[in-house]
Amino acid sequence: MAEMEIDVRGQTCPTPLVKCRKAFKTASPGDILIVKGTHQASKKEIPMACEAMGLMVLEIEDKEGGEEWEIKILR
Amino acid sequence: MIYLDNAACTRLDERVLEAMKPYFFDTYAVATSEFGYSMGIESKEGLERAREGIISKLEAGSGEVIFTSGDTESSNTALKGVAWALKEKKGKHIIVSKIEDFSVLNTAKALQKQGFDVTFLDVDAEGFADLEGLRKAITKETVLVSIQHGNQEIGTVQDLKAISEICEEKDVLLHTDATHSFTRLPLSVKELPIDLITMSAHTIHGPRGIGALYIRKDTPINKFMDGGFQEFNLRAGVENIPGAVGFEKAVELVTEEETRQLKAMRDRVIEKSLSEISDVTLNGSREKRLPQNANLTFHYVEGESVTLHMDMRGFAVSTGSACFSRSLEASHVIRGIGGEHERAHGSVRFTFGRYNRMEDADAAIAAMSDIVARLREISPLSRK
Repeated sequence: MAEMEIDVRGQTCPTPLVKCRKAFKTASPGDILIVKGTHQASKKEIPMACEAMGLMVLEIEDKEGGEEWEIKILR
Repeated sequence: MIYLDNAACTRLDERVLEAMKPYFFDTYAVATSEFGYSMGIESKEGLERAREGIISKLEAGSGEVIFTSGDTESSNTALKGVAWALKEKKGKHIIVSKIEDFSVLNTAKALQKQGFDVTFLDVDAEGFADLEGLRKAITKETVLVSIQHGNQEIGTVQDLKAISEICEEKDVLLHTDATHSFTRLPLSVKELPIDLITMSAHTIHGPRGIGALYIRKDTPINKFMDGGFQEFNLRAGVENIPGAVGFEKAVELVTEEETRQLKAMRDRVIEKSLSEISDVTLNGSREKRLPQNANLTFHYVEGESVTLHMDMRGFAVSTGSACFSRSLEASHVIRGIGGEHERAHGSVRFTFGRYNRMEDADAAIAAMSDIVARLREISPLSRK
């Protein structure tokens, strides 16, 4: 089980989702993906995509006073 | 994956591959004249049988079809070939519609750089060429009009009868790009005075890398590429005989019943999108459109987000949104019909093929309905 970080801070739609899709494909079942971002729409869109792909969102956490967010996903 | 991007490319039909195989492994010689060796003669016979199949579909005359590498080469050959042949004898003006495929549009722009005068003809809100505008735009200097049959994005089917009559009356050659309509819609050069027609195999479950160009007998046209004397000395290069044979087989396999099925799937997507999802606009004509094409704008969402979410649910669709395009510009077709950038950004194209079933259309709309609703909740474009 590996841990993979996807840093999309400063990037806007649809780039965070494009990078997540790539990571979802390369990760192995059981891997943990940690997505770090700033774009608020992506914070909602990424869990939506996880649901469609059958991936489990373990945690969504706001950071830096809400300026940044972090989503932990189980592949 | 439910593939609904058949306008971009189609899955090869196994029967096409079987027809092509002998020309890779058994009869692989270059086509030769009757004075050559037997395998070359058989190759030549295979090529000519394939040509006859395309000719017969168009009701054309012997020798009026050449094979090319696809629609881009066919349209380049048509536009540049005629423009170069007539620039001294007649003039340096050509007319193309604003919503042509890039293979025509960018060829016209290349000719512009070579000193040709190009009129980019307006279309109306459904994508129909302005016929009165066409009549007025033709001058004594006009050497060619190029207006497509069916549009690659919004599916609008032009009134080729009216267009060809205007061109005939004004004594101007007419080229049409039939890449998306050939075999799916009737097209006969016996009935319509069209001088050049672009066709391609990749949109009808044939192989990629093979297309054809119909050239009416005695049409003045210069050779586009220098080299050998193949294809009646109009297209240099070793002939792609397996491709030509595959193209002819692909043409043979298209049936009216199959086209009716595509049309039914198209109509289901259009009707369900308009009735079950709010704020949706149909792009192109409702009545006169390609049987395999549905193109709709889902307002207040971005097309690239929709295509990404559709992909993650197992559907392949395309959009006229800028980020999706290799040119990074919003669809020139949607803008050509008077659409704002927002309409192009939210446009989604569904194009059906032989391997789709009605369940695919239903599943796609169910997925779209959910995706659009959820994206609208979070989209900055959404109505507040």
